[in-house]
Amino acid sequence: MKPPETTPESAAATAEVRLEAGGRAVVVLRGRLDSLTAMGPWRQVEQRLHGVAVTALEVDAGGIEYCDGSGMALLHCLQMGFLTPGATVTVRGLTPELQRSFDNFSAADYRASVPPPPLRNHIPTDLGRGARAMARDFVEQVRFIGAVAQGLVGTLFRPRLMRWDEVMRVFESAGANALPIVSLISLLVGLVIAFEAAQPLALFGAQIFIADMIGLVMVRELGPMMAAIILAGRSGSAFAAELGTMKVNEELNALQTMGLDPVRFLVVQRVVASVLLTPLLTVYAMFMGVLGGVLVMLGIGFPLVAIYNELVLRLTAGDVLIGTTKGVVFGLIVAAVGCLRGLQTQKGPSAVGASTTRAVVSSILLIIVTDAGFSILLYVLRQ
Amino acid sequence: MNDHDIAIAVKGLKVGYDHVVVLKDISFEVRRGEVFVILGGSGCGKSTLLKHLIGLFEPMAGEVWIEGVNLVAAEGEARRRLLRRFGVMYQSGALFGSLTVLENVRLPLDIFTDLPERARNLVALGKLKQVGLAAAAHQQPAELSGGMQKRAAIARAMALDPGILFLDEPSAGLDPVTSAGLDALINDLAENMGITFVIVTHELPSIYAVADRVIMLDQKTRTLIAEGRPEALRDHSPNPWVRQFFKREAEPSVTATPTTPT
Repeated sequence: MKPPETTPESAAATAEVRLEAGGRAVVVLRGRLDSLTAMGPWRQVEQRLHGVAVTALEVDAGGIEYCDGSGMALLHCLQMGFLTPGATVTVRGLTPELQRSFDNFSAADYRASVPPPPLRNHIPTDLGRGARAMARDFVEQVRFIGAVAQGLVGTLFRPRLMRWDEVMRVFESAGANALPIVSLISLLVGLVIAFEAAQPLALFGAQIFIADMIGLVMVRELGPMMAAIILAGRSGSAFAAELGTMKVNEELNALQTMGLDPVRFLVVQRVVASVLLTPLLTVYAMFMGVLGGVLVMLGIGFPLVAIYNELVLRLTAGDVLIGTTKGVVFGLIVAAVGCLRGLQTQKGPSAVGASTTRAVVSSILLIIVTDAGFSILLYVLRQ
Repeated sequence: MNDHDIAIAVKGLKVGYDHVVVLKDISFEVRRGEVFVILGGSGCGKSTLLKHLIGLFEPMAGEVWIEGVNLVAAEGEARRRLLRRFGVMYQSGALFGSLTVLENVRLPLDIFTDLPERARNLVALGKLKQVGLAAAAHQQPAELSGGMQKRAAIARAMALDPGILFLDEPSAGLDPVTSAGLDALINDLAENMGITFVIVTHELPSIYAVADRVIMLDQKTRTLIAEGRPEALRDHSPNPWVRQFFKREAEPSVTATPTTPT
């Protein structure tokens, strides 16, 4: 089936269909049957045979000048009775070369390659599998926390192993480079909250309390949370992708065979950098959020000194301490979860992407749950 | 030899990245139906040249004529038509991980033809049978071995029955048996289907097994330094480095010095 020297891609291919007595039909194919031209004869045959009860189909392929895989597929479709179910089909007139190619693929080959039936969902089995996966994940997380703690303690005794240049690199990429996005999001969130609160508070003549509200919300809740969520999206995902790619490239195996613990060599630096930078990022997010609220209040007409006095009266050093403590804990969560998901990366082309997604989703979920835990704890402590 | 016998003609090609010239003054012709091998040492620009031959990158200068059409100048529909006339197998196979093997092979047919789905499945299955992978049609690429992935990639490259197939390092990383199987497949397709092969490799056993003609690239001069049959180059090339390459001899500087037992 050698291709011709010239390839007239639009050369016509035709099919003539003759219906004869006794349910007999003859299809005469002519011309060049390739991926571009095979569809024409297919449609012609399909239209002519539609609704006709054919018991015997004869395909005259003597007029075919060239036939590639697509043309062969048309012949096989006719032979397998796709257009004439139940009819006996004969294909004749193929050149010896085309006949050899035609015989290379049979109906048995087609039947043998029918896809396996999709697995049925079995709820108890799925539940069991899910529970087992969760339990295994929990055990891995506990083991990982232990390994990170061990790595941190080990580094305290042997600070040379810390690789401070790596810590600085993470500090820069996850901290300094995140400032523009933290600025924008925090400022806008502060601005929107203050703006939305201004209208109902105006009904009671209580717009001055926007300062109290924005101060408390940004310092105790949203500042740390937004800094942590941005860290999870920007850096937790990056940690998972970096470590995942290293695992896929067998770099982690290389570390282990050199006697280096991947947790101590790669994870500890990221965790330390994140824990050190999140208080700074959190305070910055608090400041920008409050600034957003202040801008709205200035727009309403309050003097800056009044806003300042209200903020200073309401906010205490304890509030800032609570906010930054949350930031530290969130930073620890984001770095640890990002690295854990990276180390858990499986094989396959979508594995790194899946790890990255899991890192971000798990981090955000844990941040929210931990934040709720903080709220309950602080409430209990205040009683 | 008239123009009809020429599948690919490369004229004065100069390729590189940014302002760094990787290869220059590259001119050669590939005859219709022959297995043509581009070879050279690691980092000499073989894969770069291949990427320019298939139109992935634009050359700094020169022309690449495929089936009588200049790929470098072709645009729009003319370029699309030309791209359909050759298939490419990438070094890693480049199968889409989210699709089954059958769907991978069927993909060019899904895009370029309006054949009904059953017919497209039949074409894809026929190609998979040709490369001995019909049984793996519904598996995911990640479930296949390296050799199987490369064969599946060849099946995908053949889906539209192109006259020319470009293969980038088809034998790299394969065991000798699988590699020999792939060589046999290339020879079979070249002989029985009349497909022109352009293969980038530096696997000597494969070169001897499949190549009708080879060209050799040189990293130092950045040019083409030899052209001919592999056996002839091995035995009679005036360039000592070419002979050394074919005889698989280490460079003098890296040859181990014999040590005196103590």
